[in-house]
Formats: sequence, C-alpha cells, structure tokens
Amino acid sequence: MSTLAIKHGAINLGQGFPNFDGPEFVKEAAIQGIKDGKNQYARGYGVPDLNLAVADRFMKDTGLVVDPEKEVTITSGCTEAIAATMLGLINSGDEVILFAPFYDSYEATLSMAGAKIKCVTLRPPDFSVPVDELKSAFSKNTRAILINTPHNPTGKMFTREELDVIASLCIENDVLVFTDEVYDKLAFEMDHISMASLPGMYERTVTLNSLGKTFSLTGWKIGWAIAPPHLTWGVRQAHSFLTFATSTPMQYAAAAALRAPDSYYEELKRDYRKKKAILVEGLKEVGFTVFPSSGTYFVVVAHTPFGLENDVTFCEYLIKEVGVVAIPTSVFYLNPEDGKDLVRFTFCKDEGTLRSAVERMKEKLGK
Amino acid sequence: MEDKVSLLAKTLTPSPIQQLSLLAQRCNAINLAEGFPDFPAPSHIKDAAIAAINSDFNQYRMKQMHGLDVDPLTDIAICCGQSEAFAATMFAIINPGDEVILFDPSYETYETCIKMAGGVPVYVSLDPPHWNLGRDKLMMSFTLRTKAIVLNSPHNPTGKVFTEDELEIIAGACRARDCLAVTDEVYELITYDNEEHISLASLPEMQNRTIITSSLSKTFSVTGWRIGWAIAPACFASAIRNIHIKVTDSAPAPFQEAALVALTSPPEYFESLRKDYESKRDYIVELLLRVGFQLHMKPKGSFFVFAELPESCILSDIEFVEELIKQAGVVAVPGCGFFHTNQSSDEFSQAAFSYQKKYIRFAFCKSDATLYSAAQKLGQLCDAEGPLKLMYSGECTAH
Repeated sequence: MSTLAIKHGAINLGQGFPNFDGPEFVKEAAIQGIKDGKNQYARGYGVPDLNLAVADRFMKDTGLVVDPEKEVTITSGCTEAIAATMLGLINSGDEVILFAPFYDSYEATLSMAGAKIKCVTLRPPDFSVPVDELKSAFSKNTRAILINTPHNPTGKMFTREELDVIASLCIENDVLVFTDEVYDKLAFEMDHISMASLPGMYERTVTLNSLGKTFSLTGWKIGWAIAPPHLTWGVRQAHSFLTFATSTPMQYAAAAALRAPDSYYEELKRDYRKKKAILVEGLKEVGFTVFPSSGTYFVVVAHTPFGLENDVTFCEYLIKEVGVVAIPTSVFYLNPEDGKDLVRFTFCKDEGTLRSAVERMKEKLGK
Repeated sequence: MEDKVSLLAKTLTPSPIQQLSLLAQRCNAINLAEGFPDFPAPSHIKDAAIAAINSDFNQYRMKQMHGLDVDPLTDIAICCGQSEAFAATMFAIINPGDEVILFDPSYETYETCIKMAGGVPVYVSLDPPHWNLGRDKLMMSFTLRTKAIVLNSPHNPTGKVFTEDELEIIAGACRARDCLAVTDEVYELITYDNEEHISLASLPEMQNRTIITSSLSKTFSVTGWRIGWAIAPACFASAIRNIHIKVTDSAPAPFQEAALVALTSPPEYFESLRKDYESKRDYIVELLLRVGFQLHMKPKGSFFVFAELPESCILSDIEFVEELIKQAGVVAVPGCGFFHTNQSSDEFSQAAFSYQKKYIRFAFCKSDATLYSAAQKLGQLCDAEGPLKLMYSGECTAH
C-alpha cells in the first residue's frame, strides 16, 4: 500500500507510525548518550538503568514488583521481544492460540518456531471474546495463548471479565500467556489491565511492551519482555542469538523517557483523543460504519456501504480515486475472507493531515 | 513450570565469554577479552547520528546502501547488526535437517543460529598452527544434505585472512556441490601488511550463490548501534528481509542515516583505521611473544590474536585465563570455546585434539593506554628472563 500511496500522493492513514516526532527531552538524552561515548555493545539483556526504569514503570502501572536483573529483558522493539518469546518458549508442534485479527509478525514467528496456530476470531461490532469458541480451542497440546491488548487493528481492550475467563482456562490447562501491550498508554475508553496482575497469572505470563508508540519513536527499536525468571531465561537465550544486544544510546534515552512525569502520559492521551475525534466523526460523516475503538491509535470500519468487492479493492480505490491510505484487514486474518469487509485507519498523524484526509473522503466518497 | 522452555532453548548454554567478563568485572580486570573498542567512535559519524535524531529520522525507515555490484533496491537487507543478518539468513535458507559446514575454530554464535533454524552444523577443522584449509577435508564433509558453507574472513578468533587459493577451494566446492555460501565479513576493512580482503562473492559464479553479511560495528567502532546487512541475490535478500521484518521490523532509524555518512567516509579514514590497528597489533604481538606465548603467524586481519601456550605450560587455556585475571588483572578469552567437535566424530583420539585447550584469544581493539597498562601488568608477573612465571610453573592461586 505504501508504494502505491507514494505514487498517488495519497495521505497515509495506513501504516501505524506517527508523522510527528518524539519529545525533545528523550531525543536530547540519546544525543547526550552518543556524545558521551555510549556507542559500544550494551549488556545483552539491557542497560541496567533501563531494566530498572522498566521495572519501576511496571510497578506503577500494575502494582507488581519485579526484579529488573532477572525478570526484564530489553530487545530491539516489541517485535523482537515477540520473536524471542516464540523461539525461546515454544517447541515445534506446540499449539498456540491467537485471536484474529492479529498483528502479522505473530504468525510468522510462530511458524519459525514450528508451532501450530489455533485461531479464535473476534467479530464486529464489539469484537468481544467468543467464550465457547475459545474453550474449544484449548487442547492437551496447547502451550500458550497470545493476547494483544489494547488490540491492533480493532482498538478493542480486553475486559476484566474476558481476562478472567482466559486466566482460568490457562490455569486449568497449564498454558502460558504472552501479552503484547505496546498500546497500553493509549487506553481511552477504559483502564488497561495487564494479565500478569491477575491472581495466579504472573508465573505463567510474559508481558511485552515498547517505547515506540508511547513516545513516538518507533524507529528507535527499544522494547522489552517482563516475565518470571524461568520464562525470562528462554526469552534471553533466543534474544542473544537474534540480535545479541540492543541499541545502546537509545537505551539510555529510553530510561529517561520512562521516568517522564504523569503529565506526559495525560497530555499524550489528550492529544490522541482530539485526533481520534477528528477521524471518527469524519469517517461517520463520510458514511463508513465505524466500530467503537477503546484503545490504540487505530479504528476499524466497514467499507461495505461503498459497494466495492472486498477490503483490498476498496483500499486500492481509496488510494487512486480519493487519495487516502487505509489498511485492508484481511492481512490480519489466517483466513483473509474473514476480513474482507473491514479496513483499518490510524489517527497517529498531526491534526492537519487528519482533517485533509477527512475532507478528501467527504468530497470523493461522501453520501 | 521449567518444562515450558523450548527444547531448542534448553540446548543453549550461556556464553563462556560472558561468564569470564563477569569474573573479570569482579576482579576489576583490564578487558582484552570481548571484541569491542574502548576508544570513541569517529566524530563525523556521531554527528551524523545526532543530526538524524534532531531532524525527522526517528520513525521506521527503509534504506538501502551500495556495496559490490548489487541492485540496492532488491539485493540488500538492513538488519540489527550482522548478528541479526546472520540469524535471519539461517531462517531464510535452512530447512530442518539441512547441513551447514563451518570452519573450526569459529565464532560461537553461528552454530546456535543454524540450530535455531533446525539445521545441523558440520565442522571442518582448519589445521594448526597456520589454520590452513585442506581441500580433501572439506570435500569429505559434504553430504547430500549440505545446504551451505559459512566463511568468516578476516577470521575470528585466529586473525587469518583466507587466501585466494583457499577461497577458490571453497568456491569450487560450492559450484561442484551446488551449495550456498554465507560469509561474515565484519572485519573486511581491518587488514594488515597490505593484505587485501577478497569477498568470496567476487569469485567466478559465486555471486548468485553467496549471501554476504557484514556491519558498521567494527569498521566504525559503533558496536552498540546495531547496524548490519545482508547482501545477496534478490530471492535470498527478500527472504532475509521478510524474516528480519518479522523478527525486529527495522534497524534503529537514526543510525541508518548515520550509516550513509559513514560508508561514504573518505579513503583517509579507512587508511588511518588500518594504520592504527596495525600498530596496536604489532604492539600486542611483541608483548605476547616477550611473555612466552607462541605465535606462528601475525594476524593478517580482525583485531584478535590467537596465541598458543608453550608446551612447558601445564595449565589449560581456561585455567591460564583465570590465573591471568586473578594474578595480573588482565582478561582474555580461552580458545576452547571456539573449537567444536562433530557429534559423529568419535574415531579420533583425545590427543589429536589436545591443541584445542592451548589457545588464548586477545583482543587489541583497545586504546593505546589500555594496551600499555596490560603490558605493565603482565610485566609484573614475569621472571627475569621475560616469560610469565605461569608459563612454567602453572601455579594456581588458592581457591
């Protein structure tokens, strides 16, 4: 989509990264790190100060006290944390449960680990967890379940009730949980809940997160995995042979970032709420069926009112005839048919860009 | 819950190099073990990174670079260091059960990446003391399952630069057996005595079957930036890129921008890099000979010296290094970690491979002050004639 978009001069509300930059104080910290000579290999599982900052932040967010040295591992982005978790903790032939639609790296790294994917599909309008379908996905071969909350692409946030159901199934079947929480600071309609904080769950959970979305520095590739020591060990083993170490100066800057005062996070949410309002109101006025998004900077809509065949043809039309990019959600499903009615827009763009995109859509698509 | 760890992860053991570093830290030792510089990166590169952070290069970035005769749009995958480029390459080319030939001694990471991808490492020993490659030995290690050969030149840990003849042996084998070559050329710009590094891919009919991996790290003393790459025919490069995207998605964006500046550095930068390292090499070679090590060759490339303990020394490499840390406060790496044995080779007696416990790797990618300090400390442990007392008595300090 990106190449087609550039060719047509389209406004990109497809790929999920900001077109604005990260905060000055974090950039300054990285620059100072480079100048101070922090340019050689960092300790494989993370610069000690960052491990500590991650542990402190996790304590503030969940109330859980973790050992920064034994239970925190720094990786090149959350993507690598996911890869290291899959390769370090999943055996060939194991079954892993995923909720569709899902971020596409999950499927790829699971197949690198030789796992069998069992899919449970979340459906509009509220993408709630289908409990019966979930129960039947568990078998004696189930090794782990992966949860992404707040959820890309739908913006769904798993409720306490849903997490309780999943937790009890995991305890009953002795299954691990991997949670991808990169959008945890973009929780708008409800509070974010970490599975690791539920009773009996910390010992079987790997919590994955990163700097990129919270601090608009997606290109720095700073992520982490938090898990009890016996699970951390597997993650670290794989990590040390995937990338060996993570960008040193950025780690120092990340530690500074994670110590940002609460006001930073409040302002972040305020800004994103404004952007979300511009996009969501705009999409509704254009005539899309907009599904409620509780978190992340994504919103999923049904394009069916416009009469195009499927999500891919709609997105192509949107680029060529309207000059706006969205992502066809079929890429997020094991069975692409499941996503053919839905496309994903992002609002991690400056307000001017969002308004222009809405204008273009009103003009060319508006009913 | 311990049984939840993958079978693969269970076979991985902590790096002996890292364990020694911890011991060294406890003893406050001078570290000539791990291969990263203790002097700063060049300013013009750091400035480029700073400029990139200050401008807008902090989001995901896809950039290609020029190297060899390649199409930058299709033949290059930028990764988080050569480490990731190599790991991604293995996932890209190895099916479970495929064999991969490695030359022994070798950098410890290759084997694990091969196994992670389900491959089987097959070792071909280079012959001490000059670590020559034997053609017959190489050909005998091929089977119907051989998928690729891994070549690291200039070589870690020996400092050897594979000769043209040896490269032709490897190329000939690849052509004859229709197999791939994966090279690790991270030390490509660190060669001495006017030795020129030759890329295996530049030999006839090799470019279309070779995957080159390399990085910014050693050439520009920025090991912590994690900028590396794979250069390969489009079909392989795209497979590697796809895997890389799933494993890390991208290498740090500001440093990719700085890399562009780095790679267009004037020839004077590379000349002075070589000269500096060459004088450090000469210094450490002279030092090690003086204190009683055996060196059959000076390293022709990389920033490592692989020094042999004399016959009079009854200590193993590990014991020697431990004593060196405790008594002299200098750290190096015992060579045994670089040697491997094929699982099926039980026909050779222990004696044939006893040399594998007699080598120590010293890194000289350190400031002159560090090297001088190491020399002073070693000097304190020497007797009047010069050699380290450890070389004769093999006395261990009490535990």
